Amino acid sequence: MYKADPVTMQVIRYGLEAIAYDMGYNLMRMGRTTIVKEIMDINCAVLDASGGILSQANLSPFMLFSMPLTAANILKMVPDLEEGDIIISNDPYLGGQHLLDVQFFSPVFVQGQLIAFVSNIAHQLDMGGAVPGGVAGGLTEIFQEGLRIPPIKLYRRGKEDPQIINLISRNIRIPEKTLEDFRAQAATTTWGVSRVKDLVSTYGLGTFMACKEMLLDYGEEIVRRAIQNLPDGDYTGEDFLDDDGQTHEPLKVQVNVRIRGDEMSVDFEGSSPQARGNVNCPWACTQGAVFYTIVGIVDPYMVINSGTFRPIHVDSREGLITRPMAPAGVTARSQTMTKITEAMLKAMSYVVPDRVVAGSHGQACTCSFVGIHPETGKPFGYVEIQGGGAGARPRKDGPDGQDLHLGRFMNTPVEAAEMEYPVMIERYELIPDSGGAGKFRGGLALRRDIRFLTDVTWARYSDRQKFQPQGLFRGKPGSVGRLILNPGTEREQQQRSKGVDQLKKGDVLSIRLPGSGGYGSPLERDPKLVQWDVLNGKVSLKSACEDYGVVLNDDLSLNEGATRSLREKIKTDHRETYPGT
Amino acid sequence: MRIGIDVGGTFTDVVLVNEKEGTFHYTKTPTTHYDLAEGVLKGLAEILEIAGASIQEVRHLIHGTTIGTNAIVEGKGAKVGLITTKGFEDVLEIRRVARPKEAAFDFEADNPPPLVPRYMRRGVPERTNSKGEVIVPLDESAVREVIEFFKAQRAEAIVISMLFSFLNPCHEQRAAGICRQFYPEVFITLSSEICPEFREYERTCTTVMNGYLGPVIKRYMDNLMRRLQEKYGKIRLHIMQSNGGLMTAEVAADHAAHLINSGPAGGALAAAFVTKLVGRQMSVGVDMGGTTFDISMIDHGIPKTTTWGGVTEYPIKLPMVDLKTIGAGGGSLAYVDEGGVLYVGPQSAGSDPGPACYGWGGTLPTVSDANLVLNRLNPGYFLGGKIPLYPEKARRAIEEHVARKMAVSVEEAALSIVEIANANMVKGINGVSVQRGYDLREFALISFGGAAGNHAVEIAAALGIQEIVVPPICGNLSALGLVVADIQYNRVRTLAHKKAGDLPTVIRNAFRDLEQEAIRQLTEQEVRPEDILIEWSADMRYEGQSWELNTPIRRTPEFGETEFRAVLEGFHDLHKKVYSYSEPRERVEFINVRVKAVGKNPTLSLPSFPLKPAPLTQALKENRPVYFKAKGFVEVPIYERDCISCGSPIVGPCLIEEKISATLLPFGTRAKVDQFKNIVIRFEYT
Repeated sequence: MYKADPVTMQVIRYGLEAIAYDMGYNLMRMGRTTIVKEIMDINCAVLDASGGILSQANLSPFMLFSMPLTAANILKMVPDLEEGDIIISNDPYLGGQHLLDVQFFSPVFVQGQLIAFVSNIAHQLDMGGAVPGGVAGGLTEIFQEGLRIPPIKLYRRGKEDPQIINLISRNIRIPEKTLEDFRAQAATTTWGVSRVKDLVSTYGLGTFMACKEMLLDYGEEIVRRAIQNLPDGDYTGEDFLDDDGQTHEPLKVQVNVRIRGDEMSVDFEGSSPQARGNVNCPWACTQGAVFYTIVGIVDPYMVINSGTFRPIHVDSREGLITRPMAPAGVTARSQTMTKITEAMLKAMSYVVPDRVVAGSHGQACTCSFVGIHPETGKPFGYVEIQGGGAGARPRKDGPDGQDLHLGRFMNTPVEAAEMEYPVMIERYELIPDSGGAGKFRGGLALRRDIRFLTDVTWARYSDRQKFQPQGLFRGKPGSVGRLILNPGTEREQQQRSKGVDQLKKGDVLSIRLPGSGGYGSPLERDPKLVQWDVLNGKVSLKSACEDYGVVLNDDLSLNEGATRSLREKIKTDHRETYPGT
Repeated sequence: MRIGIDVGGTFTDVVLVNEKEGTFHYTKTPTTHYDLAEGVLKGLAEILEIAGASIQEVRHLIHGTTIGTNAIVEGKGAKVGLITTKGFEDVLEIRRVARPKEAAFDFEADNPPPLVPRYMRRGVPERTNSKGEVIVPLDESAVREVIEFFKAQRAEAIVISMLFSFLNPCHEQRAAGICRQFYPEVFITLSSEICPEFREYERTCTTVMNGYLGPVIKRYMDNLMRRLQEKYGKIRLHIMQSNGGLMTAEVAADHAAHLINSGPAGGALAAAFVTKLVGRQMSVGVDMGGTTFDISMIDHGIPKTTTWGGVTEYPIKLPMVDLKTIGAGGGSLAYVDEGGVLYVGPQSAGSDPGPACYGWGGTLPTVSDANLVLNRLNPGYFLGGKIPLYPEKARRAIEEHVARKMAVSVEEAALSIVEIANANMVKGINGVSVQRGYDLREFALISFGGAAGNHAVEIAAALGIQEIVVPPICGNLSALGLVVADIQYNRVRTLAHKKAGDLPTVIRNAFRDLEQEAIRQLTEQEVRPEDILIEWSADMRYEGQSWELNTPIRRTPEFGETEFRAVLEGFHDLHKKVYSYSEPRERVEFINVRVKAVGKNPTLSLPSFPLKPAPLTQALKENRPVYFKAKGFVEVPIYERDCISCGSPIVGPCLIEEKISATLLPFGTRAKVDQFKNIVIRFEYT
C-alpha cells in the first residue's frame, strides 16, 4: 500500500493551497461586477471526493462551510458526474448561503475515478426576486428572494447547457453581467481541475490519496490539542438584532459553548425562533460563523480543512433563527452570522480573555442601487458594502474602518463608483467618538454620503441601529449605525436598517456604520494616547474628559495633575463600575 | 568603463566593467550605516585601484540603494502635510477597508499606519467630477490657511491629492502655486504628476510616498554628490529605479517613490542579462540569501513589471519590477508543530543569533544547518573560510527540535527541512508563473544569492524547468544589474473612456503627448535622440471588469482603425493566455495608456573565455559523502568552481564549491561551464 509521510503531505498541502489561492486571484481579476472584482465577496476551495475541504483560499471565511454541505448534496442529487461537468447551486437549504451566492463545482477524475472537486462561490449582482440586486431585508419567503437553483449541471462534458442559461437569463435582471461572472467562475474551476490533475500526476494517485487522509487527520489533531488546553466548562454569550425588517421586535442570538477534554460542542438554545423577515441564518452560515471564531481564538494560521472540524460539534434545533426551515427568507443572514460571532466571542471571553476582541460593528451594511444610467440608457446596479469599527483588542486599539469579521472585502473607490454609476460621493470619512472608550479604544466607524444623479431603487440590509457593539472588561460600547436621507436639510429622515425604498435624483444618502467596543477600563488608558486621539480628531475633548478622565490644556498639552484627580473622582463616583480600585 | 554600486543591508557591492578590454572586476565593502556615502566612496576607490583605472575613464557610474525602503520600514521619512478634497481627508487611512492579506482569521493583524497622521491631513472645498468638469471651484483662501498651518507645523513636504485630478489637474496645480508663494522652501508633490490614474486611495498613497521620501532622498543625494565632487570633480551619477531603468541623481528627489526596491530591481535586471547571455528569452530569476527568497520573471529578455506593487503593504501604483519575496533563506527556522508536522520559515535566525552552525549563540535549526548536516556545505569553506561552521551544533539543533519530534534520524530530518524549504519556494514561484499563464517547461532558472545553489536543481525539477544557470559572481549580481541598465521613464494617462468619442484618435493623441513628455525628460538627461526607444502599452479590460491587463501595443505614429482592431485582438489573446478564457464579442475598455521611454546604453558584452574541455582532476578538491534522498550518504566529488575550465563536462552527483556559494548537482544531471563561466545544468533523460 501507499504510505504517507508528513513531509510529502506538507508538500502536497502547499500545492493544494496554491491552487485554491490562484483560483481566487483569477476569479477576482476576471470578475465583472463590483462585488466580485473590488469587494471580493468570493471563496475558492479544493475538496475531496466526499466533499471534505482539503484546502481553501481565506478570502471570505464565512463562505467556508457551504462547499462541503453542497458537495454532499451534489453526490446525492446529481447522478452520472463526468469529466468536464460543472455543477452550480445557490440553494440555502442544500448547503448554500443566500441566493445571491452561486457556487460552482467541477469533479476531478483521474484514471476514471472521482478523486476531488474544485469549487468556488461568488456573490452575484442579481439573481431575480422581488427586489433588484437582491439585498433587500424584510422579505418573508425565499420565493421572493430570487431564483433558487438546486445542484444542476450547467456544463455537461465541457459544454454549457443553453437551456439552463436561458432559464436563468429569463429570471434575473441584468443577465449579461451575471452570466459574465458565471463564465469567469466556470473558467476558474476548469483551470483548477487541470492544476489538481498536475499535482496528482506528480505524486501519483496512491500517494495523493494517502496524504490527503493524513492531512485531514493532522487538521483534527491540531484542534484537539488546542481544545485540550482550554478549561472544561459551559459558557454562554448573547447578542441581539434590531429586528427582522418586518416587525420592530429585537431578536436574540445565544451561543452555548461546552468544553470537555479535547472536544467542544456548540448549540443555540435560547435563541429566537426563526423570523418572519429574512434575517434567518442557513445552516452552512451558522457553522461558518462558529468555526471562524474558533480558528481566530485557537490559532489563526493553523491548517484548515474538514478534519479540523471533527472535534467540534455544532448543533442547532431546526426552526431557530440559527437553523431555519424552508421556505423562510435568508437574504439578510449576514446580520445574524455576525451576531453569532459576537456572542461566541463573548462566551469565549470567560475562557480566554486575552485572545478575544471587543464587539465590532457586527453587521454587514449592504446597499444596492438600481436604476437607468442617464448617459447610456442602460440599467445599472451598484452595490456598496462598507467597513465599520473593529473591536478593541487585549493589547491594542481596534482598527478604524475595517471590513467585518467574517468577510474580507474591499470598498469601491470613490472614483471607480463615479466613473461607472450616476452618483456623486460627497464625504468618505471616519466618525469621531464612534469607538468605545477603553484601555484600548474601539475602532472608529465610517461614513459615506452618496448623492444620486438619477432616480434609484435602494434595497439594503444592515443592523445595529439599536444595540451597541459591546465593550469588554469595563470597556465602553461603541456607537450604533444610522442610515440618514438628506442629512442637514429639512427633508432629513432616518431610515430603517432593512428594506426597499425609492430615492429621487438629488437625494443624498448618508451611510453611517456602527463603531466598536473598547477593551479594559478607559481610566487605565495611557493619557498620551488619549491626547494623540484628540489631536487627530478621533476623540473629542468632551469624551477625553468624561470617558477617559483626561484633561488637556488649551494647546492640547496634557494636564497631568488635573487628569490624576479627575480619574480618582470618576472612580469614586462610579464605584459599581470600578469596584475595588 | 561602467561602475555599479549597490548598497545593501550588510554589504556594498561594486562591479566595474571595462567594455573595451573585456575585463571585469568586483569588490565588497561593509555598508556604512552611519553615513552611507562613506561606504560608496570607499567601494569606488577600491574598485578603481583593483582595476588600475582612473575616474576619467568611467563613463557611467550607477547607484542602487535601499534608502527609500529603509526610510519606510524604519518610519524615518519626512513630515508630510496632505491636502485633499474636503470630505476625503481619511481616504489615506481608510485604505480599501480590507484587513491585511494573510490575516483572514487573525484578530491581532494590522495594516501599517498611514504615513500622514490625521491632523496633518486637511481638506479644502473643491470638486471635479468624473468627466473632469469643475463642480465646486477651489477655495483658495482655504488652501492658504492649510498651508500656513503646515508651515507652523514645520512640514517638510506637502502632498496634494484631489479627486479626479488625473482628468483635470488645474486645482492641484493652483494649490501648488499658492504653496510655492507662501511656503517656497517646502518639497511639493502632486498626485496628477506622480500617478495620474484613477482609484483615489492608491494614487494618494503613491503620492504621499513621494512626499515622504523626497526630502530624505534629496539630503542623501546632495551629500553623496558633494562628497563625490570634492574627491573626483564633476561627475555624473545615475540611480536605479524600481522599474529597472535609471535616472540621474539630480532628478531623483522629485521621483523619490520610484526609488523603492531599487536594489532588488538590479538583481532582476542581472537575471535578464544572464538569460540573454545563455541565449534564452524566458527565465525565472531566484535570489536566495539569509532570510528571503526573491523571485523575478524574465519575459522575452526583460524583467516583468507590475503596476500593482508596493512596499510593506503600502501600495505603489508605479511600474516596478515584479518581485515576489518569500521568507525562505539559509537562516529560515525549522520547527515541528504539535501535530508532528514540519514547517520551515518564514521566521529567520537572521544574523543574530544566526543559524546554530555559526556558533554565534543560535540553538534553533535552520536551512543552513540542514545543508551542513547533509554535507552539502563545507564547514571549512563558508565564505571562503571566513566563517567557520560547527556541524555538531547543527546536528544538535536538528536532533533536538526536529528529528526527535518526528522520530527520524538527524539526516532524514535535515533532508525534510530542505524538502519543505524547497516546497515553499516552489509554491512561491508557481504563484507568479503558472498562475499568470506561463508554461515553465520553456524556462531557465537563473540561480543567484549565497544560498540558492544548493536548492536550485531540486526546485527546477519540481517546476518542470529543464535548465538551471548559476552565473559567476552570483553574490554580486545586483550590482551587475546596475551596469547593464538603461535610462528609463514611464508616463501614464487615464482615459475618461465613457465620453471618449473616436477612440483611435483619442489613443493616438494620448500616446503622442506622453511620448513628448518622456522624450523631453530623456533629453534633459542628455540622452541622444538616436538612443531613444519607445514602447506603448495600454491597461485594458472588458467593460465592467475592474482589474486591467497591461497589453503591449505596436508603436505606430499613424495609429488608426486597423491598428486599433489589432490592439483589441492582442488583448483577447492575452486575456485567454492569462485566464484561459476570452470574450471576443465583448466591449473592451481602454483605462490607461502607458509610454515607456528608454535611453539605451551601449550593450554590455562580457569577456568570453575559450572553451577548453579538460579533465576535472585539476578542480577536484576531495571526495566527500553527501546525503541524498532514498540513497543516504554517497561519496561524491567536490570541485572548486574557479578551477573548472570552460567547456568541461560535469556529471552529477557532485558538489561545486566557490567562496560564497555551493552548487549541488544531484543524480541524473549534467552540467557545463560556458564561455562566460556560467554553470549550465540540465537534466539527463533516461
